[in-house]
Amino acid sequence: MLDSLLLGAGQIFTLSTLVFMFLGSMAGIIAAAIPGFTVTMAIILTLPLTFAMPPLQGIAVMLSVYVGGYTGGLISAALLGIPGTPSAMATTFDAFPMARAGQPGRALSLGVWASFFGTLISTAVLIVAAPPLAIIAVKLGPWEYFSLIVFALTIIASLVANSLLRGLMAGAIGLAISTVGPDPMMGRPRFDFGVEMLAPGLPFLVVLIGIFAISQLVSEVEDARAVRSGTALTTRDIDFQNWAVIREIVMRPVNLVRSSVVGVLVGALPGAGGSIANLLAYDQAKRASKTPEKFGTGIPEGVVASEAGNSATAGGGLIPMIALGIPGSAVDAILMASLMVHGISVGPRLIMDHADLVYGMFIAMVVASLMMLVVCLASMRLFLRVTEIPKWAIVPAVIVCCVVGSFALNNRVTDLYLLGFIGLAGYALKSLDYPLAPLVLGVILGPIAETNLRRALQTDADWTVFLTRPVSLLLLVAAVLSVAWAIWKHKKSSLPNETG
Amino acid sequence: MTTGPETAADKRGEAGEVARLLSYVAILAVSAWLFFEAGSLPTSRWDVLGAGAFPQLVFGVLALLALAAIVGALRGLRPAALADFGAATLGWLKRRYLVVALLALFGIYLAVLPLAGFSPATFVFLLAAQFLLLPRRPRTIAVALVLAVVFSFGLNELFASVFNVFLPRGGF
Repeated sequence: MLDSLLLGAGQIFTLSTLVFMFLGSMAGIIAAAIPGFTVTMAIILTLPLTFAMPPLQGIAVMLSVYVGGYTGGLISAALLGIPGTPSAMATTFDAFPMARAGQPGRALSLGVWASFFGTLISTAVLIVAAPPLAIIAVKLGPWEYFSLIVFALTIIASLVANSLLRGLMAGAIGLAISTVGPDPMMGRPRFDFGVEMLAPGLPFLVVLIGIFAISQLVSEVEDARAVRSGTALTTRDIDFQNWAVIREIVMRPVNLVRSSVVGVLVGALPGAGGSIANLLAYDQAKRASKTPEKFGTGIPEGVVASEAGNSATAGGGLIPMIALGIPGSAVDAILMASLMVHGISVGPRLIMDHADLVYGMFIAMVVASLMMLVVCLASMRLFLRVTEIPKWAIVPAVIVCCVVGSFALNNRVTDLYLLGFIGLAGYALKSLDYPLAPLVLGVILGPIAETNLRRALQTDADWTVFLTRPVSLLLLVAAVLSVAWAIWKHKKSSLPNETG
Repeated sequence: MTTGPETAADKRGEAGEVARLLSYVAILAVSAWLFFEAGSLPTSRWDVLGAGAFPQLVFGVLALLALAAIVGALRGLRPAALADFGAATLGWLKRRYLVVALLALFGIYLAVLPLAGFSPATFVFLLAAQFLLLPRRPRTIAVALVLAVVFSFGLNELFASVFNVFLPRGGF
């Protein structure tokens, strides 16, 4: 093991690898900070550039983009209220109100440090527990995956909505959107009604950009007087309070460790990833808090939970990939593809045949998280200039970035029409007080839910299997409990009004 | 029960409830239609559920949720709220005239983009959108012009030369 570790370290600690990793880290942060440019897109754009590199150098650069990207999503989430990536969705719940309350520097610092600690914790778990955790994750069947998705949707609906019904409806609308286009098992066309734009299905990134970015940007110009007066998104003096933030995080380690562990576990589940982890970690932090009513108002626990949770999936996602050759997420699939391009077969023998490469990846994860920290802390003031830009300048410019991001995904003009339509629908739903996060989650999870439901029933047509398999039952009970908890919470909060 | 004179905010709140009720009705109608539409999708002997089963499950649940929401909304609404709805909606739209104008510009931009090409269409959109929103001062107008050039021609050049992504070139 030590030989492999030293061999891997020898390849990582070369000037060229470190320089490329640094550039990768910057690219990941910048790409994910722009709404519509996800970590996946950044990794895809990086992939061709790594073909000419040695395998470990190439994958180390991509890991830097990966780790940087998970943190970059925080920047637009905190400053603009738009999650740069789906994995930063829960970050908007508290980081954005915190930034709006005049503490954008604190919101960013909290997120960056939580991401750093989250990545470190997940890397430690990756090194120590990769084989047993991967075995547990892989033992889950389609029943458990379907139940996990039901659980994830009920959690998010009960978490973010003022009305549980509207939250559940938003999640179901997301699932409904995901049914448009070829069905995920047999490829049969569905609900396209002969319209070319609908035939390939609705790409979730376009839906994400339309629902979150366009609706948020448009609502920024609701107050004509503030826009015309040149009001910036946030106006107060910016103070990063790095030491205070580190103390704030470290003095309350339970939230950090719990969120990181949630991130690792979710990341280790194939198909699940940062987009679920940040919400689950946030939910767990809220439930464990003595003041859950303060969540969503801009409290540090919320920012830490979401960012530690999503960053920890980076290490967690590598667990099934390294141990069994199963990618934990789309990004892990691209990382896997990059290894295969170099003729390395990814599977259970990877750690035996290429131990130096695997241990090199572990070291690269640690180095990448350090680089992310350095880049973020050094350039955060630059990123914070975003807050000084008046709305009249930033809103149209970011709309154009959203258009470019949507087009670059598939090079389809019809995706732009879809963006416009979804943006309008998103603004209408937002104005009607429908929560948008469950909707987007529904779109992402719809195909996974459908595939697993159909696989489960292909294996055994008996529906009761969902209730007889312990993990599946546990997840479904948790889903019912989360709905019951939301109803109880709503009744409790409306009681004084009725009696008073 | 109303205990005092109704304020404009109360009326706006009620108009919001009516708008939500209408959205529930629309969701119920669409989901009921698509529920039956999904039933007509072909099944396969290799697949127990078929392509239509999951959509039926989703649209069925959505329809039930919408129905529950309609019942809940109807219980809390005064009949007079429906009468005030038209005027309240018009007022809501008037207060958000910048949103309406920006969305209209965005729609025109998306329609023109494939014909005119990314750079010219974006340049005009950015200028128009910024002129709509900005405080009219020489400095802000100059900044708007620079931004329009950077985010139209500049962005196009960046994507073409660095990422090999070619944005729409136009049909003219």
